[in-house]
Amino acid sequence: MKVELHSIHKHFGKVHANDDITLNIPAGTIQGILGENGAGKSTLMKVLSGFIQADSGDILLDGKPIIIHSPADAIKHGIGMLHQDPLDFPPMRIVDNFILGAEGGLFPNRAVVVRDFKLLAEQYGFSIDPDSYVDALTVGERQQLEILRLLWLGARVLILDEPTTGISSSQKVKLFATLRKLAAEGKTMIFVSHKLEDVEALCHQAVVLRQGKLIGEMQKPFDPKKLVAMMFGKEISLGARQVAKPGEAILSLQHVSLEDVRLKIKDVSLEVHAGEVIGLAGMEGSGQGPFLRACAGLMRPVGGHVLLKGQDLTGKPYHAYKHHGVEFLPASRLEEGLVPGLTLTEHFILAEEPKGMFIDREYGRKLAEERIKSFNIKGTPVSTVESLSGGNQQRALLSLLNDPLSLVLIEHPTRGLDIESVIYIWSKLKDRCRQGAAILFISSDLEEVLQYSDRVLVFFSGKVSEPLDAAQTSVEQLGQLIGGRGWPEKQAV
Amino acid sequence: MMKNSRLANIGFQLAALVLALLFTTLILVATGAPPLEAYKNIILGSVSSLDKISNVLVTWVPLLLASAGLLITFSAGLWNIGMEGQITLGAIGTTWALRLMQDSSLPPALVIVLSILAGMVMGALWASLAGALKTFGGVNEIFGGLGLNFVATALTLWLIFGPWKRPGVGSMSGTEPFPEALWLPMFPDSRLSPWALVLAVVAIVIVYFMLQGTYFGLRLKAVGKNFRAAYMLGIPTWQYMMISFMLCGALAGAAGAVQVTAVYHRLIPSISSGYGYLGLLVAMLVNYQAAWAAPVALFFAALNIGSIQLPIILKLDSSLSGVLQGMLVLFVLMVEGVRQRLMRRS
Amino acid sequence: MNRHTVLKVLGLLMIFMVVLSACGTPTAAPVEPPAATEPAANEPAATEPAATEPAVTEPAAEQFVFGMLLVGPYNDHGYSQAHYEGGLYVEKMAGFKMIYIDKVNPADRPGTTPAQLGEELVAQGAKLVIFNSDDMKDSSTEFAKAHPEIQVIMASGDQVWADGKVKEDIPNMVNIMGRMEYGKMMAGCAAALTTKTGQIGYLGPLINDETRRLASSAYLGAKYCWTEYLGKDAADLKFKVTWIGFWFNIPGVTSDPTQVADEFINSGYDVIISGIDTTEGLTEAKKFAAEGKEVFAVPYDFIGSCEEGKEVCLGVPYFNWGPAYLKTISTAADGTYASNFQWNGPDWADINNVDTSSVGFIKGNALSAEASASLDEFIAALAGGLNLWTGPINLQDGTVYLADGIVATDQEIWYLPQLLEGMEGQSVQP
Repeated sequence: MKVELHSIHKHFGKVHANDDITLNIPAGTIQGILGENGAGKSTLMKVLSGFIQADSGDILLDGKPIIIHSPADAIKHGIGMLHQDPLDFPPMRIVDNFILGAEGGLFPNRAVVVRDFKLLAEQYGFSIDPDSYVDALTVGERQQLEILRLLWLGARVLILDEPTTGISSSQKVKLFATLRKLAAEGKTMIFVSHKLEDVEALCHQAVVLRQGKLIGEMQKPFDPKKLVAMMFGKEISLGARQVAKPGEAILSLQHVSLEDVRLKIKDVSLEVHAGEVIGLAGMEGSGQGPFLRACAGLMRPVGGHVLLKGQDLTGKPYHAYKHHGVEFLPASRLEEGLVPGLTLTEHFILAEEPKGMFIDREYGRKLAEERIKSFNIKGTPVSTVESLSGGNQQRALLSLLNDPLSLVLIEHPTRGLDIESVIYIWSKLKDRCRQGAAILFISSDLEEVLQYSDRVLVFFSGKVSEPLDAAQTSVEQLGQLIGGRGWPEKQAV
Repeated sequence: MMKNSRLANIGFQLAALVLALLFTTLILVATGAPPLEAYKNIILGSVSSLDKISNVLVTWVPLLLASAGLLITFSAGLWNIGMEGQITLGAIGTTWALRLMQDSSLPPALVIVLSILAGMVMGALWASLAGALKTFGGVNEIFGGLGLNFVATALTLWLIFGPWKRPGVGSMSGTEPFPEALWLPMFPDSRLSPWALVLAVVAIVIVYFMLQGTYFGLRLKAVGKNFRAAYMLGIPTWQYMMISFMLCGALAGAAGAVQVTAVYHRLIPSISSGYGYLGLLVAMLVNYQAAWAAPVALFFAALNIGSIQLPIILKLDSSLSGVLQGMLVLFVLMVEGVRQRLMRRS
Repeated sequence: MNRHTVLKVLGLLMIFMVVLSACGTPTAAPVEPPAATEPAANEPAATEPAATEPAVTEPAAEQFVFGMLLVGPYNDHGYSQAHYEGGLYVEKMAGFKMIYIDKVNPADRPGTTPAQLGEELVAQGAKLVIFNSDDMKDSSTEFAKAHPEIQVIMASGDQVWADGKVKEDIPNMVNIMGRMEYGKMMAGCAAALTTKTGQIGYLGPLINDETRRLASSAYLGAKYCWTEYLGKDAADLKFKVTWIGFWFNIPGVTSDPTQVADEFINSGYDVIISGIDTTEGLTEAKKFAAEGKEVFAVPYDFIGSCEEGKEVCLGVPYFNWGPAYLKTISTAADGTYASNFQWNGPDWADINNVDTSSVGFIKGNALSAEASASLDEFIAALAGGLNLWTGPINLQDGTVYLADGIVATDQEIWYLPQLLEGMEGQSVQP
């Protein structure tokens, strides 16, 4: 189906989120929509899928102008949107989730639905049992389920919002194959992402949005440098590797053993020095999570000792570590890191040591303005943290770090962030290193691990590798170790 | 923008009030009662004389104390259903202290002050039980609190018919009334004690400033809104929960103490008078905003006193005020839900 | 997010609880006529213009207004309804006007005291105020002293009893109580005449002097009929009192009367006499009877109580407050009111005479013809002067309470310190 957007405008208060956007997508095309966080991609897609209405502008399907009032309306017209967090209802069976949102009858015919489901799943090579429960599925499988559901509802235009976030690489391969197949069938795919590589690999054509405007278009094959320039208004490179000179020992792990319900980590010893960055690589759930938490006192070792600058803090709570200059930045920012409902100012006040009993509001406001400026956060002192974009939440989290710091522990420092934020955040972290802090971080992005680490620890089902010199290690080597290959029998210490 | 949303908020709250009135009116009409007469009598019954106004204030004092306490636990994200029991234990503590000291040579004013303090301490201790169950035992404060409420009631009955039984027939009427010297002094020809009034007003003002302007209040809110993140930010979370329970318990205890020293002048079986539950309604209605607690509690108190006229004059059931209060909370929550949905839309 | 919804749902549930508890019985009330047994009773209320202006504004010199404070709902099918109907009786007989406030207790009306509510009645023109429950004892004293011009009836109280333990001088107060001891004796008698196992269970509320004397009276009646009419040995009669801890079930606080009744039945007690405000004894007996067990029950308080389980009901002892109220209120109206203590017994000519008898006993369907005859004989004997409160009577711990041939004084009955010898169960609150 051919999709045309004509001169779309959308305002949120003073913000011009979509500024005169015109876009033509021929049937059977995979269209990439690129742009950094807050560029207006999501707004545009919400307009197309009926979640919000444009202030002005037209939408044409196969040349016919249509008006979309709601998502239900959109799906009637054949437009389905796959959200970043698939909107399903976890504690129910897949088939019920499927029936839900479908039109027709008070008493849906389960047997027919199950048959349809199996047929569709087979057609696109998904293997999901319709009688299993939704909450048992991985993010990737939920995505597949959602695609099937939209197709079953008759979608001929699929909008995918950042679909490669949170899924495994094999699931990504399968997803891309499915999308190509759908496009070959004449369906239109709209692929929203800030990941250049995904767009390059998949899309037939791409447009770039910046600050609500459509900046440029490009057909396959793409010139990545040009796309980056369009996205950020300038060319950006990751910069040269910086190698820090290790200083005094900050963190010493002595024969530490850890246990949780799923796996055991045995007898790990490690010395981390000031100014050093250590990357922890491994498939999700290989033990790097508990390991990082154990370094912060968030998990109690079953054996061994954790020393911070020579002081034995084994078994002490996180706050004792924090007192000694340790900070832990969790991956789930709104669940563990920030307090939804409170403003940025309130967060800065909370992170400070209380001065007396009463809060000095004026001081808090100044503090907030200063931090917002120096950390380049897109928000105001009175913005609540949940109203910020992911990248800005991460910046906010970083801006809450206290001085002086000896050790920063970070889960997925740049997951889901655009490249400008990634570079910015690492520059701030490297600043910390120069001031004498050590950093340990988990990332599933191997290039990030190699780019920013001095040494790398690889985790594989509870086994921990000897520290590898990041400069001497290639992505391929790392990938093999992560996948469980190339481990000597006795390498795990 | 800000002003608009504030105006819209007030509009939504008004809509809730209108809906609640409408629904209550429907119930009245359905049962064949004259709604306008009923409302008129409630209003006259609560404000038509100085006496009635002072009666409203008598009810307002403990309700406001309870609401003030609950604002603290609400801010910490806790549903302190155990409020009833904490009020009861406050009353028991006060009665106990009064019994100990009533024959001593201490000046009555001192005895009263010490007894009120004893009530606050008892309330705080009882609340800390619910807190300990929650933080160390993993028992949800709702269930822990309910259980402790039952224990508190049983304890009261046991005391009234057992160790603190009055001479003659052990009576539902409660323990032997205390001599008038040990009552909180009242306004002449009134049941209203200025001291109780001062206590309640001071309490709500303190709670207001605590929640609005102190590090403690802000940290408490952080604990309530996101326990994990608050911990990661360095806030000693379980200590804060415990403290919020105890502060709430102390205010509950003060409410119980007022019941004993200013209203009933003895321990009676249902000394808590349901203020704990009523206070929860008030706290839910004002949605964390301490500034609104005083007027809303006053409104509730006026409804309760005004509705006394219903059986006398209209032979109507006076639980109408309860229905209206319940409807109000129900519709405010519903309207709030609708409002949030609309906000998400736009 | 999830936690939030859970809390919201809980909140809503709670509100529903409040709403329901606020309008449970009461809102149902206006729809169904309150007095099932006395259809005429509702009339005075109904014929009253619905929207009467406050009485004070009208010069209602003709009509004497009395007020009544009821501890429970006026239509509770129990204690409060019995008083309410007594008031209706006075309206009908004397042409006085009653105004009332029901649910006078701190749980239903936070922040109020009965004394304050009494003042509300006075403000609406009441010249006499009835306080109907033991709960209001202190308040009635306070009220009477503060309003010497208003006459006060404290039902079930003993403040102005010259021979009472806590006698106070309150010239405008009258205490009224019915001699329920007789009703309980008849209940005990009916139970003893019916039991096959020789085991009678008594469902007691909380322990105080009043509840002790009523349970003991039931035992005395049972023992008398067991030995006199059945010719059996008193030692073979088991009479057990289980106190639940309050006048009705409070989950988590009292013992559950349903469970207590079940335990009685399961351990061989085949008649349950109720001393509590609610009818679990009757309903449980009915349940077991439906399963084929031969069990019976005697409810309490309200004339219509047998309705809920006619097939197992042996009869019900009840209060009839009308005559005493009529008499006392009339003295207030004509200015001859004087403080006194009344402990009114049945009219032995006809214990169920609405106009004369303060305590009655209505036989139930389950009472056999034979037992009925014996019960009539027993009632006749009581009418003829039989006094079961006559020595030898020993207390539960074996001490002699009344020596042989000694007749108990009213004080000795009113302030009974223990249960009697031969009864099982606690005598005092632990």
